Amino acid sequence: MLGISFDSVAENRAFAEAQGYTFPLLSDPTRSVGLAYKACDSAQEPYAKRFTYVIGRDGRIEQAIDTKDPGGQAAALLRSL
Amino acid sequence: MFRHLWGEIFRKGRRPMLEPGDVAPPFELQDHEGRTVRLADFAGKRVLLWFYPKAATPG
Repeated sequence: MLGISFDSVAENRAFAEAQGYTFPLLSDPTRSVGLAYKACDSAQEPYAKRFTYVIGRDGRIEQAIDTKDPGGQAAALLRSL
Repeated sequence: MFRHLWGEIFRKGRRPMLEPGDVAPPFELQDHEGRTVRLADFAGKRVLLWFYPKAATPG
C-alpha cells in the first residue's frame, strides 16, 4: 500500500508518525502523478481527490475507487483486499 | 465537446478516473522518509495506491 498526496516530505513524515502508518506516504508536490491518475485537474489544485487504485501484478489498473467518505473508502479498500 | 464530457461524467455517475485495464502510469516520488519510491519497484506485485487530500486529515 502506498499513500500519496501533494504535501511535502516533512508534512507526510509528521502525518505518518502521528497516525502510526507503516506504509510509505509519497509526496507529489508538482502534481504530475496526481494528474496522470486523474486525482487532480490541474497542477494548481491544492488537494488530491480521494481516489484509490488497485494496480494488478500486470501493471494495469484492477480497481478504481472514488469516494469522498473516508469511512466508505476504508470499507471499499477492505473489500478489495 | 464539453457537453459530451459532462454527459460522460454524469452518465457514469462519478468523476473521471483511470479505468480498469488501463496501464498504471509509472512514477518516481519521495516517501515520508525521503526514500525514492518507484512504481517499478513493485513489478509483479499488487499495489494499492491511495490518494488523500491532505496530511493530518482522517482517512
